[in-house]
Amino acid sequence: MKKLVIIPAYNESASIVRAVDDIRRNAPGFDYVVINDCSTDGTADVCLQNGLNYVDLPVNLGIGGAVQTGYLYGCRNGYDLAVQFDGDGQHDASYLERMAQELIRTESGMVIGSRFIEREGFQSSGLRRIGIRYFSLLIRLLTGKRVTDPTSGMRMVSRDVMEIYADSYPKDYPEPESVVAILRMGKKVTELPVVMREREEGQSSIAGLRSVYYMIKVTLAILMERLRR
Amino acid sequence: MMTLKLQIVIGVAILVVLAILVNMIRRRSLELKYALVWILVLAALLAFDCAPALLTVVSGFLGIYAPVNMIFFLGFCFSLLIIFSLTVALSRLSNSVRTLDQAAALMEKRLRDLEQELEKERARNGEETDHHGM
Repeated sequence: MKKLVIIPAYNESASIVRAVDDIRRNAPGFDYVVINDCSTDGTADVCLQNGLNYVDLPVNLGIGGAVQTGYLYGCRNGYDLAVQFDGDGQHDASYLERMAQELIRTESGMVIGSRFIEREGFQSSGLRRIGIRYFSLLIRLLTGKRVTDPTSGMRMVSRDVMEIYADSYPKDYPEPESVVAILRMGKKVTELPVVMREREEGQSSIAGLRSVYYMIKVTLAILMERLRR
Repeated sequence: MMTLKLQIVIGVAILVVLAILVNMIRRRSLELKYALVWILVLAALLAFDCAPALLTVVSGFLGIYAPVNMIFFLGFCFSLLIIFSLTVALSRLSNSVRTLDQAAALMEKRLRDLEQELEKERARNGEETDHHGM
């Protein structure tokens, strides 16, 4: 069983080595690949100097395009499952093995690490939680499936979903939309409670006016996904 | 109604723009595919300019009182058409850029891995010959 951790990185030179150490120590059964999305802070140099396994995008693609590069890499190198893992210290690698077991046991297309099942750890700020609830409700209305944390960046997918995502994946704010896409294809999505930390470095890409764009774009994207086929 | 003077001015302007367009296509600084919609618009404008009666007929058919309004309306529609065709082209282009970007990055990684492997191999071979030398 070949298992891949995809670490999308944009300007995370300060935390990327720690994230990789976390994976080596707490998820030894996993290979990893860092996708450097054309960072401007020398993340690529840090990767090179520390001998990390990394892919260096020559043009900035945004989170969706970066993660998709990871899925492409996973498909081409014969991985059976892949998990997305943030390099900014929010995620904890000790959950990965359990997520893999859950994926295999339930024969799911995706296992999401959810913050809102046990309600432990960093729960995101109030307004954001309302946004997440709203997406959760929207997905339930459109697909009938319950997803408590559709915006979670900690998601593990099986080989067949990896192939679907390698072929088409949203460019920005991809999480809720891509969950709906595979739900509509009849894939099973399960959730596992995880505890997340507040990010150590960097800032959320979603703040201020962007959050308005985020809400509108993702809502439309989910509705569009419902219209496909 | 348009005066003959205005007709001539507009006609010359259109011809000049058309000449610039054709020259740019000839020098390959403009892709014919994207210039096509411009050429069509200019041709239509030229037709209306040469035969203003046509304008009256069409605007009458559409129920527009003043033929001049029809020009504005048509210009607006054509502009929207061109902008829309640009949006479509942009979407295609951004998908192509993404695919190329990813392909280049994955290729660069394979190359880097191969180079490292080759270096290791060379180092190993180098050591072996050293041993034989001694």
